Amino acid sequence: MASPHILVVEDDRETRALIAKYLRTNACNVTTATDGREMVRAMTDHRVDLLILDVMLPGEDGLSLCRKVRAESQMPIIMLTARGEDVDRIVGLEMGADDYLAKPFNPRELLARINAVLRRQAAAQTLSSANGATALAFLGWRIDFRLRELRNPAGARVAMTSAEFDLLQTFCERPGRVLSRDSLLDLTQGRNTGSFERSIDVLVSRIRRKIETDPLEPTMIKTVRSGGYMFTPRVDAVTIPTNGGS
Amino acid sequence: MKRLGFLNLRGISGQIAALVVASIIAIHLILTATFLIHRPDQPDPSIDRGHALLVASVQLLGVAPAAERPRLFADIARAFPQLDIESLPPGPAVAANEADGPHLRGLRRRLGSGYRIVSLPQQDDTHNVGIALPDGAMISAKLLPDRWQPPFWGGPWMMTLLFAVISVTLLGLWAARALTAPLSSFAKAAESFSLNGAAAPLPERGPEEIRSVAKALNRMRERITALIDDRTRMLAAISHDLRTPITRMRLRSEFIEDDVYRSRMLRDLDQMRSMLESVLSFLRNDRKLESMTLVDIATTLQLVTDQFADMGHKVAYDGPEHALATVRPDDLHRSITNLVENAVRFGAEAAIRLRMSSDTVTIDIEDDGPGISDARKDVMLEPFVRGDDARNMDEAAGFGLGLSIAHAIVLAHGGELSLNDRQSHGLMVRIQLPVHQQSRQATA
Repeated sequence: MASPHILVVEDDRETRALIAKYLRTNACNVTTATDGREMVRAMTDHRVDLLILDVMLPGEDGLSLCRKVRAESQMPIIMLTARGEDVDRIVGLEMGADDYLAKPFNPRELLARINAVLRRQAAAQTLSSANGATALAFLGWRIDFRLRELRNPAGARVAMTSAEFDLLQTFCERPGRVLSRDSLLDLTQGRNTGSFERSIDVLVSRIRRKIETDPLEPTMIKTVRSGGYMFTPRVDAVTIPTNGGS
Repeated sequence: MKRLGFLNLRGISGQIAALVVASIIAIHLILTATFLIHRPDQPDPSIDRGHALLVASVQLLGVAPAAERPRLFADIARAFPQLDIESLPPGPAVAANEADGPHLRGLRRRLGSGYRIVSLPQQDDTHNVGIALPDGAMISAKLLPDRWQPPFWGGPWMMTLLFAVISVTLLGLWAARALTAPLSSFAKAAESFSLNGAAAPLPERGPEEIRSVAKALNRMRERITALIDDRTRMLAAISHDLRTPITRMRLRSEFIEDDVYRSRMLRDLDQMRSMLESVLSFLRNDRKLESMTLVDIATTLQLVTDQFADMGHKVAYDGPEHALATVRPDDLHRSITNLVENAVRFGAEAAIRLRMSSDTVTIDIEDDGPGISDARKDVMLEPFVRGDDARNMDEAAGFGLGLSIAHAIVLAHGGELSLNDRQSHGLMVRIQLPVHQQSRQATA
């Protein structure tokens, strides 16, 4: 992919400059804005590939900017917030943000998420982006991309790391296809840096432990002889995300 | 008005005075009424009624000419046989003893001076009385039989007195209690005052002094709550605002060329971040922001196990592959993470065990560290208390909030957290949560 153009909307001057500098050293074109007005101007002046939006902004806040942008385009949005609270996360994702990062964040994590969001955006043929679904269902399980949660057939939430979730999401979006370890790594790459980095095999075995009836005799995520995995269940789009209690 | 302050009925002294006065007046009124109804110095009114009939008959006889008397005798005997009036042969009349009884005295007073009452030889149980008419003729008549007079101390008198004393005493006790009840409720309110402001304000009623004490206590309570809120806000604001410089430092550290310095810098920043997070989490943990939902908590425990294993710690999970319970998933994850963090800091190995019964989830987090002495167990649950007072202030040391956050989260779930000694050595933290499992929905 050619270097993506990223618009950073952040009111703290130094943070803004540092994010821009960091992203530029990692092969991104960066434009910066301090508030909503500058953001709109920058978006008309440049072809922006991805928006990084701080929640706390002077004037119109990040959440409402996010909703406005989302109403007009499918531009990928990553929200930054100083509040690490779940309410923010859920509200941010419901406003249409593609991902969310709490301050203080690991810059490598930010870069990884930018890449993941852009890659997902690029894979136009995937099931979820094809019909705009925010959740997929397989064998009674439901995976919700907005809330980033997986619920089992009984409606119970299943705890996963974000690396596990990303991998399962990648599988769900490509059912019935053989995915090599390399391509899986590529599709989910970098989401988990540093000490959390695990090989695809470890992640697959952990997912199997959580979703397979018998993790030793997996029926959902099958190992393919030539070196890859295949997600076998039929996957359906769920347009209205529901929570387990209903 | 100041000098007559004790007359102020809204004050406690005025009310007590009023209570005493009201009791005295009540007793007095009851006694007076009883006295008037049962006058002990007057003849029995039923006897008095008999007297009236007798007196009328005797006076009729007294004014009638002697020739008419036999016919009158016959008429009276026919009309009032119970009087048993008859003429007596004139004879030596013995004046009745003055001390013959109250009824005779009453009779004499009513008859007037012309008549004399004479005593008759007592014949049988009938109470006959002899009367000399003004002209000297003698008649005898029967006083209507005296009612049975109950003895004074067992009579209605005594009952009334007892009733009055008991009821006024009870009334007085009740009123005194009503006056002083607010005082004991103050003690209770002061005991139950907690920093989360959950206790209701004191009711501002009762006598003036008590009302003003209640008002003062309520104002003090508001001030304390406001003070705590201010400090909480301040702590939250500081923690919150520190995120911006930490974010900058985090970004800046990416440009440090020296790998060793960079990784040390990142480690310090991570520690600062986790300390801030623990403060913010501690400050918000009674707000119950996260909603309860059905969770496969076995996967939560596996997740924590995996995360610590990835960081190179020896953590094992022992329990079922799946276990459903209704909890706040992120809160539960945080509390287990905090406990395992402690376990791997003080011990070499940690274990998470899960047991499900029909109504309880039991999660044990064990380590093989030094454990906590019984004397310190309660203290350790308090915020900002660290187990390693004297020893390793290493890079992992936090604010001492981990255990108290875990405790608060468990309490918010309606569960219990206890610190126990592990079999050989080490600590076992036991979490027990109620399983209010929602009806399993079948979406398959």
